[in-house]
Amino acid sequence: MKNNPYRPVAARILKITRETAIEFTLRVEAQADITPGQFFQVSLPRTGEAPISVSSFTRDWIEFTIRAVGKLTNVLHQLKEGDTIFIRGPYGTGFPLEKYKDRNLIIVAGGSGLAPVRPLIQKALDGSIGVKSLRLIAGFKNSEGILFSHQFEDWADKCDFTLTIDKPEPGWTGNTGMVTEHIRKLSDIDFADTEVVVVGPGVMMKFSTAEFVLLGVAEEKIWVSFERLMSCGIGKCGHCKIDYTYVCLDGPVLNYTHASTLID
Amino acid sequence: MQSFDFNYQQFAEVFARLGKKFRLFGPKRVPGRGRFSDTDLITYADLQNPEDLETAEKSYLSPKSIVFPPDETTFYFTADQFTEPELSDNRETIVFLRPCDINGIERLDRIFLENGKVKDPYYQRRREKLHFFMIECRESFENCFCVAMNANRTDNFATAIRFAPEKVSVMIQNESFLEAFAEVGKKSDFVPEFVKKDSKAVNLPDVEDMPADIFSDSLWDEYDSRCIACGRCNTSCVTCSCFSTVDIFYPDSRNCGERRRVWDGCHLDGFTDMAGGHSFRKDKGDRMRFKTFHKIYDFRKRFSEDMCVGCGRCDDVCPEYISFSSCINKLSDRLSGGKKDEE
Amino acid sequence: MSLDINRKKVTKNAYRVTKRRNMTAIRVRVPGGHLDAEHLKTVAEIAQKFGDGNVHITIRQGFEIPNIPFEKMNEVNAALKPLLETLQCANGVVIENLDNGYPGAGMRNISACIGNRVCPFGNVDTSALAAKLEGQLFPNDFHVKIAVTGCPNDCIKAHMQDFGIIAICEPQFDYDSCIGCEACANTCRRKVTGAITMRNGKAVRDVRRCIGCGECVLACPTSAWTRNQTKFFRLVIMGRTGKKNPRLAVPFLNWVTEDVVMKVIKNTIPYIDKHILRCLAKEHIGYIVDRTGYDTFRREVLDGIELNSEAKVAKTLQWPGYDTVNDANMKSYNQRKV
Repeated sequence: MKNNPYRPVAARILKITRETAIEFTLRVEAQADITPGQFFQVSLPRTGEAPISVSSFTRDWIEFTIRAVGKLTNVLHQLKEGDTIFIRGPYGTGFPLEKYKDRNLIIVAGGSGLAPVRPLIQKALDGSIGVKSLRLIAGFKNSEGILFSHQFEDWADKCDFTLTIDKPEPGWTGNTGMVTEHIRKLSDIDFADTEVVVVGPGVMMKFSTAEFVLLGVAEEKIWVSFERLMSCGIGKCGHCKIDYTYVCLDGPVLNYTHASTLID
Repeated sequence: MQSFDFNYQQFAEVFARLGKKFRLFGPKRVPGRGRFSDTDLITYADLQNPEDLETAEKSYLSPKSIVFPPDETTFYFTADQFTEPELSDNRETIVFLRPCDINGIERLDRIFLENGKVKDPYYQRRREKLHFFMIECRESFENCFCVAMNANRTDNFATAIRFAPEKVSVMIQNESFLEAFAEVGKKSDFVPEFVKKDSKAVNLPDVEDMPADIFSDSLWDEYDSRCIACGRCNTSCVTCSCFSTVDIFYPDSRNCGERRRVWDGCHLDGFTDMAGGHSFRKDKGDRMRFKTFHKIYDFRKRFSEDMCVGCGRCDDVCPEYISFSSCINKLSDRLSGGKKDEE
Repeated sequence: MSLDINRKKVTKNAYRVTKRRNMTAIRVRVPGGHLDAEHLKTVAEIAQKFGDGNVHITIRQGFEIPNIPFEKMNEVNAALKPLLETLQCANGVVIENLDNGYPGAGMRNISACIGNRVCPFGNVDTSALAAKLEGQLFPNDFHVKIAVTGCPNDCIKAHMQDFGIIAICEPQFDYDSCIGCEACANTCRRKVTGAITMRNGKAVRDVRRCIGCGECVLACPTSAWTRNQTKFFRLVIMGRTGKKNPRLAVPFLNWVTEDVVMKVIKNTIPYIDKHILRCLAKEHIGYIVDRTGYDTFRREVLDGIELNSEAKVAKTLQWPGYDTVNDANMKSYNQRKV
């Protein structure tokens, strides 16, 4: 069969980073033309296939940050460096980088929502998007769930970075409170010249985008990313359809004007 | 275009002749295999004899299995090698089906061949083999509403056939079938007719965009308790195209297995389950709303035609007597501001 | 004029001695409990013309028409003729003189649930099978209770009969049609025995757990499960109510064909004839089996029968029930002492 879009390619695991007790990052050897926000269908033969967003990439490798909560991800969690996984992609519509050029970019990420925006953060920080400024708010339920902490120092150096956990914890000296509280504190921003990215659990995105709208951000300047069950990634299987929108094709990154009209 | 008449014996001759070259697929009565004991199952299946062809009753299942089997292997695994299976039957296939189902397969084409700009190769290789032999349909069956769905007519057929009590009339559009028929038949002026009136009046909603409040309208609530999520409306539907991918392992092998895709449906539990436990549309009413909108509203936004072809099989098969066509009418009533307080 | 009748002949004619002196009651047999509504008129006429206008519906699906003077028996018998013609003779019962009423009353009316003429769960046309049995077994003087039920739900209470015929089906699986929705496995686990499990996304049936109810066939949305066209039965035997030892019938044969069921029940007649205690008024078959033992019963009723290849036969039989004489467990409750 020629050009079978379902045929995955083998990708060798170069490195495994344990992020939390149940989250880990697989760096695999693969080359692809990726836009931040896109995802791959990751599979292991005989176990299954699932959509996983790209959490980082270079010309030589791609990273997937995975939470071991399902049949496939639990098996992926057991793999070692040098093992092989199978991937096909990238799929979906990523972040519209050209729209962020010469703009202030605010990124709000909740929990594992930080994974799909990490490539965007990196591109914003390394200058390849050409943003005017970056403000990053990353919120986690608790300190044990924090992802990518090894990069925080670097991020804090290069942008206005707010890390918060939902509730105070013994020994935690940093910010606490939901991301919405920190969005509310944002000031001295020229919202006319700012694009906002909000990615995280459904409830977090709902309330965070509402905060930005309250602050006066135009809806067309707000971007979100959806997570849905997908079996194909290419607009056939029907699982991710919401209204006329296929999250795998039209998303996962959607403009708020579009996303806010979608009812599952 | 030429037409011919046949008696049933002559038609059997043509059938046998076609069967030598083509795979023949159509509605078939399987005695005693119905859901209830001592009832027949009318399904789509390979046909060996012209008597296999059930032309009097509507089939319980649709012809979609010829292009979209309930369970299709997409890859065989041997260690890390992926192998695509060959088709078990490589012959060109004649499908006997009604106009609504021809329209239905065209709806499947939208998803499998057009949506997302990537063609689905597994669908495509089956689809390319099909020749539609249209079974003329002049009268609605129970629950049919193809006229309302604008799916009662088609000119997408190789031949059109009328099965009358004493004779069979065939109009040939695809010249490559001319010879097989012309040698046996008697020239006639047969032209197929189409259903003109639905057995039940169905009014489609007349809105460009569904107002947000209709998504949470109490209209859907009754289906929370009525629908049992059996999925028959999905499996019987000619246009339901959703599937899930599953990997299987051969129990006695360390490294062999298959990747398959199997029919899934928006009424079935687990359709939106994500790893980690989150899911959408837990309530059956929400599933009914999702399906209804897909069939008669949002598919249109994407493909400029409604997905539903009004075959009415979902009504035929629902064990809980949920009528999809009634649901459409209720929706239209709500949208036009009427019957708000109706049960 | 004082009444002088042969009570035994009367009883054999389906009449009985009642509480009221000189008054009898006739029991109308309705095999399978199914009849043309027209026959209800005959029943009504007999009740109104010869009885007191009342009809009792019996547990065995017959009608008992009470308060008929014994002297009207001949007239009642004549009135019964259309019922005998349709419900007995049409099913193969041979009756020499149709004006004489029922030629026997020992073999009780063969009852049946509504079966697959109406019920979605029914695996066979139970009424038709009951009628067929009537044709082969009636008239007969031995006291035997038979009922046919369409599925293991056993709505007719086959487990309370001497012969409880339970229609079952062998579900057959079309692997290619299964979409792994688990509807069959779920329904079997919740309602039946959990005979179906999922393996590699497909339903797998444990034949030893499957009781043949057909729930999986009903649940399957793709018709992957359908019924084997050979119909099978489970025959449970020797259940009973009664004064001594009420008990549930237990499986004697499983996965047998209709032909085997018919032959086994017919073979029972010579078995009874051979072993019955003639000194008793009408020894019930269950007590005969208690006395001869299961081995003798099995050997004699299976004699000369070729069982179908799927058939299973019970190795031993033990009935759940209790002896009414065992009162050791029964204590006064109001004056109980610690």
